[in-house]
Amino acid sequence: MRENGKMKNDYKVKTENITVDYGEKRALHGINLNISSNEVTSLIGPSGCGKSTFIRCINRMNDLIDGCKVNGKILIDNEDINNQNMDVVELRAKVGMVFQKPNPFPKSIFDNVAYGPRIHGTVKNKEELENMVRKSLKRAGLWNEVHDRLDASGLSLSGGQQQRLCIARAIAVNPDILLMDEPCSALDPIATAVIEELINELKERYTIMIVTHSMQQAARLSQKTAYFHLGEMIEFGDTSSIFTNPKHEMTEAYISGKIG
Amino acid sequence: MTNKKISALTKKRYSSEKRFKAYCIAALALAMAILFTLLSSITLNSLPAFTQTHITTDVYLDKNLLDPNNTNDLEAILREGPWRSLAKSSLREMVPGVNDRKEKRELYGLVSVIAGDSIKYYVKENPNDIGKKVQINIPSSDDIDLLTKGLIDRNLPEENRTVSNLQLKWLDQFIYEKRVSKRFAWKLFNHGDSREAEVAGLKGAIAGTLLTMFVTLIISFPIGVMTAVYLEEIAPKNRMTDFIEVNINNLAAVPSIVFGLLGLAVFIGYFGMPRSAPLVGGIVLALMTLPVIIIATRASLASIPPSIREAAYGVGASQLQVINHHVLPLAIPGILTGTIIGIARAAGETAPLLMIGMMAFIVDTPHKITDKATVMPAQIYMWANNPERSFESLTSAAILILLIILITMNALAIYLRKKYERKW
Ligand SMILES: Nc1ncnc2c1ncn2[C@@H]1O[C@H](COP(=O)(O)OP(=O)(O)OP(=O)(O)O)[C@@H](O)[C@H]1O
Ligand SMILES: [Mg+2]
Repeated sequence: MRENGKMKNDYKVKTENITVDYGEKRALHGINLNISSNEVTSLIGPSGCGKSTFIRCINRMNDLIDGCKVNGKILIDNEDINNQNMDVVELRAKVGMVFQKPNPFPKSIFDNVAYGPRIHGTVKNKEELENMVRKSLKRAGLWNEVHDRLDASGLSLSGGQQQRLCIARAIAVNPDILLMDEPCSALDPIATAVIEELINELKERYTIMIVTHSMQQAARLSQKTAYFHLGEMIEFGDTSSIFTNPKHEMTEAYISGKIG
Repeated sequence: MTNKKISALTKKRYSSEKRFKAYCIAALALAMAILFTLLSSITLNSLPAFTQTHITTDVYLDKNLLDPNNTNDLEAILREGPWRSLAKSSLREMVPGVNDRKEKRELYGLVSVIAGDSIKYYVKENPNDIGKKVQINIPSSDDIDLLTKGLIDRNLPEENRTVSNLQLKWLDQFIYEKRVSKRFAWKLFNHGDSREAEVAGLKGAIAGTLLTMFVTLIISFPIGVMTAVYLEEIAPKNRMTDFIEVNINNLAAVPSIVFGLLGLAVFIGYFGMPRSAPLVGGIVLALMTLPVIIIATRASLASIPPSIREAAYGVGASQLQVINHHVLPLAIPGILTGTIIGIARAAGETAPLLMIGMMAFIVDTPHKITDKATVMPAQIYMWANNPERSFESLTSAAILILLIILITMNALAIYLRKKYERKW
């Protein structure tokens, strides 16, 4: 179900027995999942199975939810991110996130992308900042559409453009890992195609985890796929083998549309 | 069959909807009518107070009289000049043949007790006119003012009116000589309180209100906003914060006079702060305004979509950065609106200030927050209690000015809200 001929230490993200509780309610029951660098991993599964909860563990976004408790070990580059010494700010600079609903800041397009580099001090002067913004917008495939109106509000863009702006904002910080929680769920097929292409390019540099409800998208984009069901990870492996030859009957049922 | 039943029901429903709508409109009309009556009666009553009768007097600015030692020192002249007697002698010159003591008193009663000040002010502005004969507009006494405005009936028998027959005769002479004019009553804004209606103005009360509101603002705004930010953004949601929240909401419902008692006991009694001072008044009103600001700020913070916070945390902003860069800037319009409304409410408050001695006859305009002062609503209350006839319109004028100030503040709040309102 896991090993792929790689050494254990090569994994970018390793999770060991993660459980998440929302108050009394347990949302994840011991997830073990190892993710290699520069791969796209899809998380699929029926609604409410804990995909978002899991992905939010990786950059400790669950800290923000009152009464949410995460237990277990999460290692990124062999460092335990739940460790007391871990600085959440640094962690989130290293692990970027793109949300289901595009959520640009109600600021200008430029300021949206520049925000991360500014607060992390990764750029030294205005010129570097401008370069960084341009580079990120180009990589997010948005530059051509917005280069002449960087002062316009981020909210003035279309939904698909906003989502690409959010991706640009996330990659402007130069993260190692990019978490994407249903990034295309609010988009039409054309905008989706643009973003999928973008993800394909981004995986050269980043380790990407993407939550999706579209089996086709998972199949098109990812090298690895994990199937979640009711807070358990049922199956994890190469995307091709999961989709053509699922080992678990629940996976098969889900993929063939019997669970939904 | 069923169709008929339904249409009967529909008819009933429609007519009840119509009736409901009619009730609503009637309620609205009633409310508007009451408001209109109130405003128009105040405005009408106040109109006489905005103009003031002046008598144009020929004054000979005798150099020998004003500057007997020929010093040419304007300040000394202004300080020591016999202004009052100058006003009197000018009147005597305009109405020759008044020698009797009683008649003289009646003659001087035509003009305001501060007639001398008008001459002094004229000299201050035109020092080169010393030695010349000039025409100066001197405010009339308030009885003459009332008479020219038709508020005293000249056909009443003499013993029933405050203006004597002799005065009437002189006044008619002045009117014939085109010496009587009505001018805008600037003294409303550049004079403090006075026992004399023709002198009494709002300068002191307005300054007192501004100083008090300043103290209120600098205390309640930062404390209120920080409390709200802590409760809404930082504090864990537990019993303790629930308890605090309930108490803050209760505080908003405490009768305002209780805050005045607190101010009297604690700030004046215990800390020994000065009585009647904007400092204490401001603190007391700040306590009263605090819950309003806290509640408004929390509502404003809560209305900011969590997705903005998530986005900021997602790129690695710290909690302080999320609050300072994203949450507060977006909440500012709502916070300002709440603050302005809170401050406006405090500006119209009298009861707590009663307890700490700000309801007092204070002539001087306060310049510091520790000076003795009174505030607009207290001034209104005191004028309303003054039996003299001309204070009636003064009271209405003061109410109107206070209303204008408050409405301006509320309009500003609405403007801010509309201008920065965001759609998510
Ligand atoms: N803030 C929360 N408080 C309490 N329970 C929560 C919270 N967020 C999620 N849950 C619960 O945790 C479980 C997993 O939720 P999660 O959002 O991770 O599902 P998901 O797989 O992302 O679903 P979807 O595909 O619909 O987004 C659900 O049963 C949900 O009710
Ligand atoms: Mg989800």
